[in-house]
Amino acid sequence: MKVATNAARLVRQVLTGEVWPPLADRHAYRVGPDGQPFLLPGMGGVTLDVHCGDPATGYASDHLEPGASIRHRDPGANMALQFLTCVGNQVRVVSGPAAGATGHVIGQHAYVLADFTGPAAAELTTGDAVTVLAAGQGLVLPEHPQVVVKNCDPGLLAAMPGGTRPDGRLEVHVAARVPAEAIGAGAGMASEYANTDLMGAYAGLGADLSLGLEGLRIGDLVALADADHRYGRGYRPDYLTIGVISTGQCMMFGHGPGPSTLMSGPASAFYLVDDGDANLARWLHPQPAQSAQDPAVAP
Amino acid sequence: MTPADSRDHTVPPRLVTVNLLGAVEHPALDGSPYRIDRNGRPYVPTGDGGIVLGLELGDSAFALDADHAAPGACLVHADPAARQALAAYACVGNEVRVRTGEAAGARGVVLGKRGEEGRVVAGFAAADLARMRPGDEVSVRARGQGWRPPGLPPEVAVMNLDPGILPLLPIGLPGAGPGPETGSGTGTAAVAVGVRVTVPSRVAGNGIGRPAAAWDLDLQLPPPGPDGAGDVALGDLVAVSDLDVRYNMGYRRGWITVGIVVHGASPLPGHGPGITPLLTGPAAALRPHPDAAGHAGLTAAALQLQ
Repeated sequence: MKVATNAARLVRQVLTGEVWPPLADRHAYRVGPDGQPFLLPGMGGVTLDVHCGDPATGYASDHLEPGASIRHRDPGANMALQFLTCVGNQVRVVSGPAAGATGHVIGQHAYVLADFTGPAAAELTTGDAVTVLAAGQGLVLPEHPQVVVKNCDPGLLAAMPGGTRPDGRLEVHVAARVPAEAIGAGAGMASEYANTDLMGAYAGLGADLSLGLEGLRIGDLVALADADHRYGRGYRPDYLTIGVISTGQCMMFGHGPGPSTLMSGPASAFYLVDDGDANLARWLHPQPAQSAQDPAVAP
Repeated sequence: MTPADSRDHTVPPRLVTVNLLGAVEHPALDGSPYRIDRNGRPYVPTGDGGIVLGLELGDSAFALDADHAAPGACLVHADPAARQALAAYACVGNEVRVRTGEAAGARGVVLGKRGEEGRVVAGFAAADLARMRPGDEVSVRARGQGWRPPGLPPEVAVMNLDPGILPLLPIGLPGAGPGPETGSGTGTAAVAVGVRVTVPSRVAGNGIGRPAAAWDLDLQLPPPGPDGAGDVALGDLVAVSDLDVRYNMGYRRGWITVGIVVHGASPLPGHGPGITPLLTGPAAALRPHPDAAGHAGLTAAALQLQ
């Protein structure tokens, strides 16, 4: 049974932002796990070539942010944009040659990250203005009071498989399960902001660094073991957090592909289904022949 | 064209000492007095920076209902880049001297540091600390980054440690005679370190993924039981398994990191008692010896802060 929500009581708010440039300093290099200095692109601006469903790792990149990276110029407005924007929200380009193109939010990373399929992204660049239709914060599942939902567009939740099981647990399909040892940078931060880097996904590096996460894809739904993200991000045995992989390849040690948080609660409140297709690409960016109605923006 | 490198690499480089200026921090809050604890309850954070009275080395990290409380005064600098340098260059054991205010002339010692914006935690005798106030200027005699003690196995990295306080800590170097507490050290190629406890890397919280030269690592430890089981004290050495902090702090199977507990627990999720890392290396070359009941880390008596 589809999970019941208070979606009808949520507001949809119009927010604005602009594509924000990559940022660097004059020292240029960062350092990898074995002391390797590197200078690699991936964070900020518009990153082409990588979309939901594509491998998260295996690129010559650091903190790979697929698609457009978006901020607001005013610091207070920017925090509102970062906190209120939810995965699955629609993003529309309103200036520049890509004006009119629509994409979807795939996560947060101190930038709002928006994936655009098709040729539109190639015309998008720093400074282009976008409109975000923000909705999702405040989402409640009345039949699952122990589960806290955040950063999740109600339309996305409606499109995801699973729901309330006869035994009362919340069924969620996940493409991967992540051990607590993998939790990297982002621990201790607010779970409505940025994401949680996962270590152990350094494709091509030593076995002593691997936690078996090299197969993650952008947009994958993942389950984080022993993670409580209800009021921040912390380690708590027998809790579970569901996230969506919103960033990819990292060379910087202690960092890695990262899930943005979608829901969190006691592990006993969830029923996980291992499903290799549990990816945003299946629900937000279906192939053109299947995209008669976009579930994430359906009324 | 560069001439061939003719330096003798068998001779360790000489350390330089840098006098840094810190100011005693004033606690700061943003627009709301509340933070949200790990159970979703709002609380007013106390003890998060500035001067904390009545907390000393050897006290439990869970002794106070406070947020990241540290035993002494937190030092900062008004310029963000200078503040980062203060945190990065200061080392545990560095001497500090109060330059202004009622406690001018008082001596203190760096006990560790905290990350993000950067803070140096300096311990003082209780009577001196009671005379200090936020804004007092303090000089830090920074020395230690780049140091490698003789006999340290090449795989092991040392950081954040003033050479002068190595004898005060239960660290036994190969060939340097027995460590003060571990009773080992001779006849082995490994560093032996007495610690309160070894914890798994999965409890590593805030600080993971950040540079260990300028950040502490919060450990998400539960409060001790009624009998004190599981307690850690300020100044204790604690080991973390499967953690490598040479280049940022991150997971590496078979690696050990040892740090000193510099601040107490926090209600925030992902936070807890914090360690300033001192040693990191493969488990074959860095061996922690946990002693939950008998461990003694850095003490006020050893630092002559009483």
